[in-house]
Amino acid sequence: MSVAETASDRTAQFLEGVRRERRQIITPEGVPVTVDLADYGERLVAFMLDLVIWFLLTLAIYIPIIAAIAKTGGSLIAISIALFVGFVVRNMYFVYFELAWRGSTPGKRLVWLRVIDRAGGPLLPSAIVARNLTREVETFIPLGVLLTWGGMRGANWESLAIAVWLLFFAALPFINRDRMRGGDLIAGTMVISLPKRVLSSDIVEKTTQFTFTEQQLQAYGAFELQVLEELLRRPDSAETTRVLNEVCDKICRKIGWTAPLAPGEVVPFLREFYTAERGFLEREQLFGKVRADKYAQPTKAGG
Amino acid sequence: MTLTDTMPELTPAADRAAVPAKPELVLKSSEFRKGREAGWRELERLVDRVERRGVRALSLDELQRLPILYRAALSSLSVARTIALDRNLLLYLESLALRAFLAVYGLRANPLEGLRTFFGRDLPAAVRSARWHIVIAALCLVVGTVAGFMLTVQDEAWYTSFVPSGLADGRGPASTRADLLNNEIFAPWPGLVESFGLFANVLFSHNTMIGIMTFGLGMAAGVPTVMLSVYQGLPLGAMLAIHHNRDLTLDFVGWLTIHGVTELGALTLFAAGGLVIAEKILFPGRYSRIENLALHGRAAAQIAVGAVLMLFVAAILEGGFRQLIQSTPWRFAIGLGVGALWLAYFSLAGRERKP
Repeated sequence: MSVAETASDRTAQFLEGVRRERRQIITPEGVPVTVDLADYGERLVAFMLDLVIWFLLTLAIYIPIIAAIAKTGGSLIAISIALFVGFVVRNMYFVYFELAWRGSTPGKRLVWLRVIDRAGGPLLPSAIVARNLTREVETFIPLGVLLTWGGMRGANWESLAIAVWLLFFAALPFINRDRMRGGDLIAGTMVISLPKRVLSSDIVEKTTQFTFTEQQLQAYGAFELQVLEELLRRPDSAETTRVLNEVCDKICRKIGWTAPLAPGEVVPFLREFYTAERGFLEREQLFGKVRADKYAQPTKAGG
Repeated sequence: MTLTDTMPELTPAADRAAVPAKPELVLKSSEFRKGREAGWRELERLVDRVERRGVRALSLDELQRLPILYRAALSSLSVARTIALDRNLLLYLESLALRAFLAVYGLRANPLEGLRTFFGRDLPAAVRSARWHIVIAALCLVVGTVAGFMLTVQDEAWYTSFVPSGLADGRGPASTRADLLNNEIFAPWPGLVESFGLFANVLFSHNTMIGIMTFGLGMAAGVPTVMLSVYQGLPLGAMLAIHHNRDLTLDFVGWLTIHGVTELGALTLFAAGGLVIAEKILFPGRYSRIENLALHGRAAAQIAVGAVLMLFVAAILEGGFRQLIQSTPWRFAIGLGVGALWLAYFSLAGRERKP
């Protein structure tokens, strides 16, 4: 993982307090690509959404059947066809969508999740079938048991066995490092979070009004640079202005900038400082002198 | 303490080696971005469409552009990692490269081609490679059947504890020979819709649920799979015993054979799939458990899919044809014939020809 990526991880943690688990996949071209593992919460939400959609679909199929039976006493052929369709929908919902939508279902798409092959290969149909056949045992049957839990009293051994079963499958994603449930294990897949990212405009300044010395630019590293970038990209608001003013004060103190800044100059000053700092750090990085943050010792004593 | 911390007195005026003092500041990473941004945007639009509507949404030209743009984006990513510190740019490229990677190398969806290789090669090969698991699963079923038979044949009171009331359907120790003959074995055919539509449907759904459960429980080290297999044999043996005691063995076995060969074969396959998974968990061999499971889990799933198809055939045979064909020899002939077809298909289809 490059310095820039590590810094970007730290920035996310610093500003948003989230820490993503990451894995690397090597593409056939030999370039490692980083994937973010899906959170437990995201997966639960996606599954719940899918359940709701699945339930509505099933209803949409069964209601006309029941209506038909009630009205005509039943055109039996229609009923039996509809019954079969209902069965297929019930069992094929996940398989169908993951096949047709390339590892995604309506619920997964809403929270930006994708199923991928763990080794970076193509997602095979057999893998999709494998990870969804076990869904029955992992979720639907335990769910059914939970729903009818009140009905069964007394049978102690039975309750114990069912509790162990529930715990086993519920605990599975928590006890392996790739957060795989049973189906992922046997299919060789994992679920990743893949939000669409937008490329915003570059925030470097073209013209310079302030000049900074090399010593001043040596005050910070990649981490601070990226935090500053995130702050500068924030939409305008009173809160942003307050934070930027505070940051500007800190930077001035750190780099020993004594010339006074007019209130309107804060943002241009920060932007220019960002530009100069980034230019400096990128140049240093090209020469192999990578500086992760302000605490890192310069690799070579210079200046 | 860094060097700079020790020199807080420096002012901008007192610089020795000022960074480019010219008014135009040119960043390598900005130039890099300017040169390539158009390609990234184009790739993003293509990937968007592939994600929404599949590869088919692209024209021939766009299809040719996709891999080129994808490789360009990958190389951009590699370069950006070394020269750029722009967080937004890095995250964008990271995500774009991954999305393009999934679009280019993702699932190849050609349903017809997929179906042909699945039935022509993958499924029979997966079944053949699991032959010992199939033997074990079949043995479990046989053990259950024999146990159910031995116990019930001596004391028909066992029947009620082996056969759930839903399955017993009124049959039991109280049934007479005539009851069984007229209401079960040679019961009249209920008619086309009733038998093919409703009955077959219910049978198929029910059996599939049980089969998938047997398969999935292979993950619990296979113990529940073995137990379920034995457990499925018990009611079979018990019912056989009831009929044996009323001197109906041959007719009952015929009544069972017409669909039973296929149905029990399917249940055995489900259990065998579960046992494959269990084996890879218990005895991982030279790979790690997780790798090994990923290697063989898909083959196991293919076996299960094959079993679902067998159950479909079995449901049609049981629901539709069993009561239509009112002769024991014909029932044997059909049941065993279909069984022979399955055997031939699984053992012969898709074999590489030896030179």
